[in-house]
Amino acid sequence: MVAARALHEGIRPSNVFSREDIHGDTVIDCDVVIVGSGAGGAPMAAELAEAGFDVVVLEEGSYYQTRDFTANTTAMIRQLYRDGGATMALGNPPILFQEGRAVGGSTVINGGMSWRTPEEILERWVKDAKLDVSPAQMLPYYERVEKRMHVAQNDHDAIGKDNWLLKQGADAKGWEIIPNLRNQAHCVGSNRCAFGCPTGAKQSALVSYIPRALHFGARVYSNVRVDKITMHGKRATGVVGHVAEDFGGRGYNIAVRAKLVVAACGAIHTPALLARTGLSSRSGALGGNLSMHPNVKVVALFDEDVTSWKGVHQAFQVREFVKEGIGTFAAVNIPPSLVAMSLPHRGAQLGGLMDRYNQMVVAGMLIEDHSTGRVRTINGRPQAFYQIDDRDIATMKKGLERLSDLLFTAGAKQIILPLHHATSVYSADEARRVLAQPIPAAAWEVVTVHMMGTAKMGRDRTSSVTDNFGFMHDVDRLLISDASLFPTPIRTNPMETIMALATRAAGHVIDNARRFLS
Amino acid sequence: MSELAPYDHTAVGRKVLISLVPVICPPQYVHLANEIVDHLALTLGASPPLLRKGFDAGLLTYDIGALLSHRRRAHKLSGERAERYYASWEHGPTPLHTQFARALNQLMSMSCYEQPEVMDAVGYHVGPWIEEVKQKRLTVFKDDSAKQAAQILAPDPLRPSFRIDRIKRPNVRKAGA
Repeated sequence: MVAARALHEGIRPSNVFSREDIHGDTVIDCDVVIVGSGAGGAPMAAELAEAGFDVVVLEEGSYYQTRDFTANTTAMIRQLYRDGGATMALGNPPILFQEGRAVGGSTVINGGMSWRTPEEILERWVKDAKLDVSPAQMLPYYERVEKRMHVAQNDHDAIGKDNWLLKQGADAKGWEIIPNLRNQAHCVGSNRCAFGCPTGAKQSALVSYIPRALHFGARVYSNVRVDKITMHGKRATGVVGHVAEDFGGRGYNIAVRAKLVVAACGAIHTPALLARTGLSSRSGALGGNLSMHPNVKVVALFDEDVTSWKGVHQAFQVREFVKEGIGTFAAVNIPPSLVAMSLPHRGAQLGGLMDRYNQMVVAGMLIEDHSTGRVRTINGRPQAFYQIDDRDIATMKKGLERLSDLLFTAGAKQIILPLHHATSVYSADEARRVLAQPIPAAAWEVVTVHMMGTAKMGRDRTSSVTDNFGFMHDVDRLLISDASLFPTPIRTNPMETIMALATRAAGHVIDNARRFLS
Repeated sequence: MSELAPYDHTAVGRKVLISLVPVICPPQYVHLANEIVDHLALTLGASPPLLRKGFDAGLLTYDIGALLSHRRRAHKLSGERAERYYASWEHGPTPLHTQFARALNQLMSMSCYEQPEVMDAVGYHVGPWIEEVKQKRLTVFKDDSAKQAAQILAPDPLRPSFRIDRIKRPNVRKAGA
């Protein structure tokens, strides 16, 4: 009953290992080794383990359970986020991005938005990259993921006042606003999604696919950092790595010998793993084509108490301007420390604003970017470079103007725009005037959690890194399973599509088991 | 195997940061200077080594840089002079100055508003709230939660007719064994 243990607090399943369990240099044999335990790795592990494959999952972060997720925001960030959340794409402006580093990967720290890729984008992938991913072809995989992750609308009574204000503003403007679909089973609105769900309601990979994989016999090794993939000629034969000790220390060596290697480290670390291995793509696209869904947010101040931290995260999404490249608007409560961090104010001015924390609505928007960046591997570590272009800045301005309009319509009295020179506006007209001015790129505060596209799929090996299922062109037995596969940005939250593609690729491996097990 | 120690500020770095608390944090929280600076060390401890080194170097430069304009090191400045010196970086001569001042502001503001006393003052009582909603889920939604947990473990093969015949074999060993 190892799997049941993964669902019960306080008992670590016997097939989850951590640094304390490894007492010397170790060699492990298996059928499939999966590097990464998040949205790409966990479904792959569960599907293959259920089919009878001997699966080993390696995860650099630690194994936590729901009871480990506390109200201590920065402690959670230090434990669950790569580099304590201090990861940045260099450009003007630099873009702060976040990645999970724990068993369950970024699904442990995301907001739990579960959306299929819009049909017209899948159709574009079919047309341009010649992939078998039409909406009809993807449907069974999306349905399977949605069932496993319990994708559903939120319970009405758990929705907080910030979300109702967003809806009120959108309704008054006549704009399309839809209830969010989230992987949650009776989310009760602790609004702590980004710091590990403390109630167990969010069905992250940690509490869904990982327990399932364990149930069917997979082994999960946490605290293991993979240095590179081992190759025999053109064939991937396993991985070598080491135990990741505290404070960046290097522990015992680990080697895993496998018949199939799956890289599921995300769009930043997968190209770095491949680069450390010495692999390159004849397309030149490995590490390139980086999309980020640039994300900006505003802080709106109301006269009344909103207490935004009581209620579900992002209960609604405004979708009115999708065709213009403005993905969504949503209310995204964050704790006071992170609001204070995002404000350019200081001293008494900061204190005055933060005293009104309970009257704040933090609302964000993401855009479908046209800019692309690149991940380069420097001394073995990935570094993202991304320069947002004028077209995307113009889209951000347009989106902010409308988001401000919506919030003023909902009753906001003051809005702080995401600009480093501390621009507050007091009406929709003023927001429009300010945003019509030229704003230097360096003044923007942009963040993201959606990194995509650095090992894109395609039939043509001269323009893509991986094939129709995610196998790297010109390399045998190396499958990629994360958002690096996306040929383009998808305008919505990527988790469900990563999982659906992983499920699809797992099906292909099962169908061809004889070949992969030889 | 290498064993690394947890990060701590350099002696100079700590002095500079303590001197910056009244410049960056709201006046009513200045008495928490030590706690704020300790918290900042925890945050930096989780960041990449290169960033930590850069931050330490930045603090040293900030400290010594004040000699030019104020004939004192930054950690010895207080009141209006400390304020003016920080502002000179904030609107700095180079983007590097501006970025570093911004980073100081961000890290210190975050550390300030992570103090229990400060969270309490702004009305963020999230601990009791988490306990309240956790109990609600454990009681009101107990049956549905159990149903979902069962669904997670229920057999549902992607390819129903398929199952590899696994040969049991020892598959973990010490290197060289």
